[in-house]
Amino acid sequence: MTISLSQNLIRSSLPIAQGAEAKVYKAHLTPESPPILLKYRFQKDYRHPFLNANLTRSRIAGEARAILKCLRSGVHVPGIRMVDATDGVLGIEWIEGQSLRRLLPGGAEDDGSDNVDNVDSMDTDILKEYGVSVDELMKLIGIEIAKMHRVDVIHGDLTTSNMMLRRPESFTSSDPNVTTELVLIDFGLSYQSTLTEDKAVDLYVLERAFASTHPDSEPLFAKVLAGYAETTGGNWPAIKHRLDDVRLRGRKRSMVG
Amino acid sequence: MESFQFNHNVAYALLFSPVNNPGKIKQRIINAAKATGSEGNEEREAVNFSFIDASLITSRLHLETAIHQAIIAESQGLLRTKTIHSEILFALNPTNNITEAIRRYGVSDTSNALFVVHIVDSPGPISDLEIKMKQAVDGTMVPFDELAKVTDWDKIEKYHKLANEVMEKGDAVQARTFIDNVAISSVAMKSVMQ
Repeated sequence: MTISLSQNLIRSSLPIAQGAEAKVYKAHLTPESPPILLKYRFQKDYRHPFLNANLTRSRIAGEARAILKCLRSGVHVPGIRMVDATDGVLGIEWIEGQSLRRLLPGGAEDDGSDNVDNVDSMDTDILKEYGVSVDELMKLIGIEIAKMHRVDVIHGDLTTSNMMLRRPESFTSSDPNVTTELVLIDFGLSYQSTLTEDKAVDLYVLERAFASTHPDSEPLFAKVLAGYAETTGGNWPAIKHRLDDVRLRGRKRSMVG
Repeated sequence: MESFQFNHNVAYALLFSPVNNPGKIKQRIINAAKATGSEGNEEREAVNFSFIDASLITSRLHLETAIHQAIIAESQGLLRTKTIHSEILFALNPTNNITEAIRRYGVSDTSNALFVVHIVDSPGPISDLEIKMKQAVDGTMVPFDELAKVTDWDKIEKYHKLANEVMEKGDAVQARTFIDNVAISSVAMKSVMQ
């Protein structure tokens, strides 16, 4: 069998990371084109090829649709640059910046546990480059999630790893005080829902991710919720109420099945 | 002549602005499609290009994305239209209506600026190609940078139904960046659109 077009593109790309579902590459469609990020949902040998092709196609389609819906509604997400659902390749805009996980205290992988009490000095140092304070950053997270929930997109995997800050050098804004932009990434587990329950669980997942990745993050998460509440407006009381319920029982509503 | 050197294929493109004979080009494509015999083949070969209304293109990347998606579709035998060149027009249109895609994005009597695109399997001599393109179009050949002067942002905003979203943008520059990104993304995900 000859090598498909997208396979060939992947071969000439730079591998970045691999997870259970996909491999990620940095690529250029043509030598002059801006870089893009390729998410390649590789073949799962344990699945029947027919089932595999169908699942891959529908997941790529789902991810692309969620991104376009967010993009149209002004949620900060990477633009789509190519789709090859047959081969399982999704190409999105390359975001020049860093994952939030690495910008917040405790998230850096090589960060030893001994400088946990040094939290304040270290995060301001890294964040200074982006021109935002930690508090402002938390508010940005809340605003972006609220914008996404307003159009009934549920991310499904909100963590600080799935958020990025754009580097100020590669970002232009009409407002000189805005130096960066918080971008939501990885819509691989996203879906559409109008339910308060699903939005509350989305927030709860992020709260748990905060607690397990970043030490002493309760006050930080409170600021995320403050930003979310402000942008959500009238729907906030219902979501807040439901979030309190979810906190008591965990993210699974039913104890059976 | 501008070229897009993809891994598998190469697309060559010229931008003409203004164009003096859009109606004639359109009629010629229609006639070529109906013509029979060796004369028909010759005539089809003479207009074997994608003629794209440049006023509906937001950026080089917008055009490149449409070409790339058309190449992918052809390589998998998944063309929704008859040729790879008409597939570019189909990819550009936000709906699945082929007639509408050709009417809007193809050459029409009112086209003022045109992209002429030809896709080949491997790089080849471009002088012949350039001559053929110039023979088909009576117009002024300009560099791609001139696209900024011909893009009709209001029309693109309308076709993509972005009026409300654009109003929320602070200024024209932001609005255009936004429209460009949505247009490129729509083209890229056309094959999995609902």
